[in-house]
This record gives sequence, structure tokens and C-alpha cells, in this order.
Amino acid sequence: MYQKRTSIVNHLSVNVILILSTLEIGDSAHIYGVTRALAVQREREFFFGNEGDFSGYGIFNRPILLEPVTEAITYEAEAISPFIKVNNITINAISTSSVAHIGNTKSVNMEARIKHIRQLEPRER
Amino acid sequence: MIFQVYNRDLCVGNMKIGSISSSSILLVGDTETIQLASIFDTPPESLIIGPFVPLSRQG
Repeated sequence: MYQKRTSIVNHLSVNVILILSTLEIGDSAHIYGVTRALAVQREREFFFGNEGDFSGYGIFNRPILLEPVTEAITYEAEAISPFIKVNNITINAISTSSVAHIGNTKSVNMEARIKHIRQLEPRER
Repeated sequence: MIFQVYNRDLCVGNMKIGSISSSSILLVGDTETIQLASIFDTPPESLIIGPFVPLSRQG
């Protein structure tokens, strides 16, 4: 059976949690997160507000192939010490559908798709 | 395969983390399965040198 240990954190400090991120202190069962991002870096600050269309790029609907686990695994755990101890955790930022999780969970399934685009000023030759 | 685990003391002093981003996870605890997948690309044509052309509008 999967034994569940207790996580003990003495000090946890998080500066920023943004864009659909989670700080979970406690147990959970399933964690599912998806990130789809158009990372545009422009040489000059220039915003149009409603630009960017995910369907225009293949990366956002291309299947990510993961090897299926075919090995028959039996897992036995013996909790001699039922604690996971961390004295001090300092996190600056948790962002774009990420999770900081203090505690047990059953299954984690997360996916990130990022399209990078660079727009530079014309260069005088 | 029989995978037997004897969990003795697990103690960490300090953890200093810059940032956890784009579908990542910091887990202090037990779990059964973790499946993280990420795909990103920067093909040559995504480097555009020239006047700024707005990306295609929202669909």
C-alpha cells in the first residue's frame, strides 16, 4: 500500500503567486495543469491588446507522446520514519499554472506548451 | 519488478527557490504518479527582424 508520510515545514515564505498558480498546504488527490503561452519578446515596448491566436501555431495542438509504462511494478514502502522535514523554504515566485505542494498527493499530470517569438528592430547595415 | 522502499529520516535544511513556473511542481510529500510534459519551439522564422507586425488577431 502507498504509505503517507507527514510533511513538516518550519518556515515557508512565498513572495508572489500569479497566473493560475497554487500554494497547497495539505493533501490532494489529483493535480492537473496546462500552460499554453506565446512568449513574445519585442525590442521596443509595443502592445496591441488583442493579438495572438493559438490556433495559428502547430505547437499548441501537436500531441506530446509519452512512453507507456509496460513494466509490471509492485511497490512496497515501509515508513520507518513517518515524517518529511524541511526547515526553511523560500520561494520567490510561483507562476503560470504551477503548484507548490506541502503534503501528499496521488497523481500529478501537467503540461506546458510555449511558443517563443522574437521581434527585433530593423538593423542599419 | 518489485520496488521496495524503506523510508528513514528525510530532513532538508534550507530550500531557496527562484521561481516555479510553466506547469511545474514543488512537492514536499509522497505521491504515486507524476507526469510532466513540456514542448516549446523557437524556429528560425520566429526571429523577425523588421518593422513590428502585430501577431494574428484573436481567432
